[in-house]
Amino acid sequence: MAGALLLVSGLLAACSGDDSGTPTLIWYTNPDTGGQAAVAEECSTDRYEITTEVLPQDANQQRIQLARRLAAKDPDIDLMSIDPPFTAEFADAGYLAEIPQQMQQTFREQAFQSAAEAATWDDQLVVAPFWSNTQVLWYRKSFVDKAGIDMSQPVTWQQVIEAAGKNDGRIAVQANKYEGYSVWVNALIEGAGGQIATNTDAGVDAEIQIDSEAGREAADVISALASSDASPADLSVSNEGTAAATFSSDAGAFMVNWTFIWGNYGEDRLGDDIGFARYPRTVEGEESTPPYGGIGIGASAFSDHRDLAVEALECLTSPENQAINAELTGNMPSSAAGYEQPQVQKLFPADLIQLFQESLQDAAPRTLTPYWSDISGAIQSTWHPPSTVDEQTPEESAEFIRDVLDGRSLL
Amino acid sequence: MNQKTSVGTWIGFVLILGWCLLPVVWIISLSFKSAEETAAGSPQFLPKDFTLQNYADILANEDFLLALRNSFGIAAIATVLAVIFATLAAYAIARLEFRGKRVVLSMALAIAMFPVVSLVGPLFDMWRTFGLFNTWPGLIIPYMTFTLPLAIWTLSAFFREIPWEMEQAAQVDGATSWQAFRKVIVPLAAPGVFTAAILTFFFAWNEFVLAISLTSTTGSRTVPAQLSFFVGPDPFNPPYGQLATASVVVTVPIIVIVLLFQRRIVAGLTSGAVKG
Amino acid sequence: MSTVTAPRREDVRQAQAAESDRTKSENRLGLRLVAPAVVFMLLVTAWPMLQALYLSLFRYRLTAPDDREFVGIANYTTVLTDRLFWLDTWNTVLIMVVTVAVELVIGFAFAMVMHRIVFARGVIRTSILIPYGIITVVSAFAWQFAFSLNNGFVNNWLPFVDENFNWFGDHWPAMFAIMVSEIWKTTPFMALLLLAGLSQVSEDMLEAAKVDGATWWQRLWKVILPNMRAAIMVAVLFRALDAYRIFDNIFVMTKGAQETESASFLTYRQVIEQVQLGLGSALSVLLFLSVLLIAWLIVKLFKVDLAQARGEG
Repeated sequence: MAGALLLVSGLLAACSGDDSGTPTLIWYTNPDTGGQAAVAEECSTDRYEITTEVLPQDANQQRIQLARRLAAKDPDIDLMSIDPPFTAEFADAGYLAEIPQQMQQTFREQAFQSAAEAATWDDQLVVAPFWSNTQVLWYRKSFVDKAGIDMSQPVTWQQVIEAAGKNDGRIAVQANKYEGYSVWVNALIEGAGGQIATNTDAGVDAEIQIDSEAGREAADVISALASSDASPADLSVSNEGTAAATFSSDAGAFMVNWTFIWGNYGEDRLGDDIGFARYPRTVEGEESTPPYGGIGIGASAFSDHRDLAVEALECLTSPENQAINAELTGNMPSSAAGYEQPQVQKLFPADLIQLFQESLQDAAPRTLTPYWSDISGAIQSTWHPPSTVDEQTPEESAEFIRDVLDGRSLL
Repeated sequence: MNQKTSVGTWIGFVLILGWCLLPVVWIISLSFKSAEETAAGSPQFLPKDFTLQNYADILANEDFLLALRNSFGIAAIATVLAVIFATLAAYAIARLEFRGKRVVLSMALAIAMFPVVSLVGPLFDMWRTFGLFNTWPGLIIPYMTFTLPLAIWTLSAFFREIPWEMEQAAQVDGATSWQAFRKVIVPLAAPGVFTAAILTFFFAWNEFVLAISLTSTTGSRTVPAQLSFFVGPDPFNPPYGQLATASVVVTVPIIVIVLLFQRRIVAGLTSGAVKG
Repeated sequence: MSTVTAPRREDVRQAQAAESDRTKSENRLGLRLVAPAVVFMLLVTAWPMLQALYLSLFRYRLTAPDDREFVGIANYTTVLTDRLFWLDTWNTVLIMVVTVAVELVIGFAFAMVMHRIVFARGVIRTSILIPYGIITVVSAFAWQFAFSLNNGFVNNWLPFVDENFNWFGDHWPAMFAIMVSEIWKTTPFMALLLLAGLSQVSEDMLEAAKVDGATWWQRLWKVILPNMRAAIMVAVLFRALDAYRIFDNIFVMTKGAQETESASFLTYRQVIEQVQLGLGSALSVLLFLSVLLIAWLIVKLFKVDLAQARGEG
C-alpha cells in the first residue's frame, strides 16, 4: 500500500516538472497583483525559465514556510522574495546563496541607502533590493482646513492627535497584534533617536535598548492615541486595509500607511480630498524616520541551479523590471533609477514621488538581527493592545524580550 | 402530544433552522457584496449592490481551482483507503477472537483523541525524509490514519448488527472464514461502509493544521489552506467577498452530500457511539 | 480505555475450547486484517510522538542548528513555570467547559425537537447537518465577519450593543466570539448523539410516569435523563476532547491576540512559527498528556462505560 502511494506521488511529481532541457527556476513570491509574475516572464531566457509560486499573505507565515523548507535543505526553492526584517535570520542561518562581490557592488550603488542597509548582513549584501516601501502621513484636506493645522510644516504625533481629537476626526494606524504594529513601534522609537536593539552581531546576546527615553516617547504617543477621541473603534485590530476604510469614512482625518494606498481610492481620490506629508515626528524638533518595508530577492543556497538563480537576480531587480512591478502593483522601486522610469513617474503626482524618495532616504529599517521574529513577537505581546501601553511598557517589554531570547519565557 | 408541546416543537423547529442556516445565509450574502463595498465597511446584512463579480473572480482563480481539485482528490483517496482498512479491522474486531484486540481498540481510541498539532513538527521532518512533503500521499496518509478510529468504531458497531448466522451457515457449507466474509458479509455491511466513507470524507475535506504545514505549492494545497492565500486589491487586507465566495463554493459539495445522504449520516453518527 | 471490552460471543468461546487449530487460524486472520490499520496508525502517530519526546530534551532552534544542546528536562520546567503556558491552558479548559456545557443544553433541546417532530424531519436533519459538515475555517470566517466592526451585522442586530463595539478588541468579547463559532459548528454532533440516546428511552416508561401524574419536569429528570446517561457521557467525552484541541477558530478569528490563545495554538506557534523544536516538542508532549488526563478524568469521574454505551452490555 505504501508502495502504491509512493508510486502515485512519483507520478504526480513527474507530471509537475515538464521541463525539456531548460532548467526552471522557481521563485517564491509574496502575493501581489501580478507584478512579480510579469517580471519572472520578463527575465526568462533561453537558458532558464522563471516561474512563480505564491507564499501566504501574512509576512510571518511567509517566513515560516520558507524557513522550514530551507532548514530541510529543500532544492525546489531557487529564488524567494524576503521581507526585510527576516533577511538577517535567513542569511545568518546560511540559507542564502552568496552574491558575487561585483554584483553586490552594482546592487548597492543602484539602491536607496535604506534599501541597501536592510539587505545587508555581516557586511555582505545578501539579497537584491527589489521594491521599497515607506509610509507617509495621509490627510484629508477638508479636515486639516477645518482644524486649521498647517501641513506644509513638519508635524508631530502629539499635534496630529490633538487636532484630530478636538475636531472629531480619526487617525488610522496599524495596531493589530501583528508585524505591522512592530513597524509602528519601531518607527516611533527611531524617530525619537533610539533603537530597539544594538550590537546585533552578538545574536541572542544583542543589547535590548527599548527601555530608554526613546522607548518611553514611543509609548507616550501610542497611549495618547489610544486614550484620545481620535482613536478609531477598531484600533486594536487595525491593519493596512482597515486603516484605509477608517480614513475614507466620514470621520477620517489622518492615516499613516504605505505607498500603495494611493491607488486604492480610485481616480477622484475621495473628491481630491487626499493630501500627504512626511511621516509625523515622535518628538518636536527631531526629523522623523519613516518605516521601511519592501522586498529583497534572495537565491537559495540549496537550489539545484544556484548559479543561475544568483545570475537571475540582476535581471529581476533591474530598474526597468522594478518599474514594471511598480506599475502593476503600486509597490515602488528600490532605486532612484527605478523611480526615473517613465511609467513610474506617471503613477503618482510629482510631489508625491518626491516625498516617497525623500522618505526612503531617511527611512529606518527594523533592527537587523537574526532574532527579529522573537523580538517583534515579544514587542507585540507586551505592547498590544495599544490601550494598555503606559510608561511601564518599555521596561516590561525589555525584560520580556530578554527572557524570550534566553529561552526563559515562552513567546 | 397535546397542543402545547406541538407549539413548542414548532418554535423549536424555527429556532433550529435559524440557528443552523443564519451563518450560511450570511456568508452567501457576503459573497454577493462587491470589493469596494466591503473595503469601505459594510455592516448591513444584505449587499447594497448585488454583484456576481466575486464568483467570476473565483472561477478565474487558477490557484483556487487547483486547491479544489486537490481537496477532492485527497479526500476521495483518503476516504477509499480508510474505509478499506477500517472494514478489515472492524470485521476482525467484531467477529474474531485474537490476541492484541484490546491493544488495537485502545490504540484507535488514543488516536481519535490525539492532538494533531503535536504531530506536525515530527511529521514535517519525516515527510521531508521520505519525499512526501507537499505531495498528495503526504496528506492522504495522515488523513486516512486520523479517520481510521472513527471508521473502525462506526463499522464495528454496524457489523455487530449483521445476522451472523448466515456466515455460520456459509462456513458449515464449507466456505472458509475469508469466503464467508466476502460473499455474505460484505453486501450486508455496505450501508455501514458507506456511512463511514461520508464521515471520513468530511474530516479530510475539513482538515486545516496539516494542510497548512505539510504543503507548499498548489500541487497539493487544499482549500482550507488556500483561503489564506487570497489577495485583494491591496496586499495587506484579505478580500472579504472573495473569501466568502470561496467559502460558499467549498460548502456546496457538503450541502449536496448532506441533502443526498442525510439519513445515512445521522445513522452513522449515532450508531458509532450509541447503538441507535 | 480499559473499559473497552471485546465482544464476547458464546460460539467464539466454545470454538476456542474445542479446536486450537481454528483458534490459531482465526488469530492469524484477525491480526492480518487489523495489520494495515495498525501499521499506519503507528507510523503516523506513535513514531512522531517518540521523536517529539526525544527532541523535547534539547535546546534546539531550527534556524540555529549549531546551537543544539542536550538540556534534559529543562524545557519542561521552562514550560511548566511559564505564565503563558498556564494562561493558555486555562483558556483551553474554559473554552472546553463552557462550550461543552452550552452544547449539552442546546443540543438536548435540538434532540428533543427532532425526536418529537413529525413533519419536515428531512428538512430539520438536513439543516442540522450543515454546520456539522461545513469546514471549520469557513465557519470561523463567517463568524469573524459577522462580529467584525467594519463588515459585521452583529452590532446592528443586537440591542444594547454599541454600533462601534469592537468584539475582537478585548479578551472576553473575543473569547465569546470564538466560543460562538465553536458552539455553532459542533452542536449538531452533540444533538445527534443525544437524539440516539433519546430514542432508547422507552415510551412505555414515560407513559407510566405520566399516568402517575409526573410533571414534564419530573419526567425529564427522573425518567429521560437517567436513561440517557450513557449517551450523554459519550457525547461529553467526545466533544470535550475535541474542544480541548481547538485551533482553527482561533487561528482565523484572533490569531491568539487578546490572550485568546489555546494550548494547541501555543504548541503550533512554538513548533511551526518560532521553529523552537525543543520547547515546542515539550509542549507537544504535554498537550498529549493533558488530553489523556482529561479522557481519564471524564471516564473515571462520570464512570463512562464505552462498551455499555455501544450496546455491548
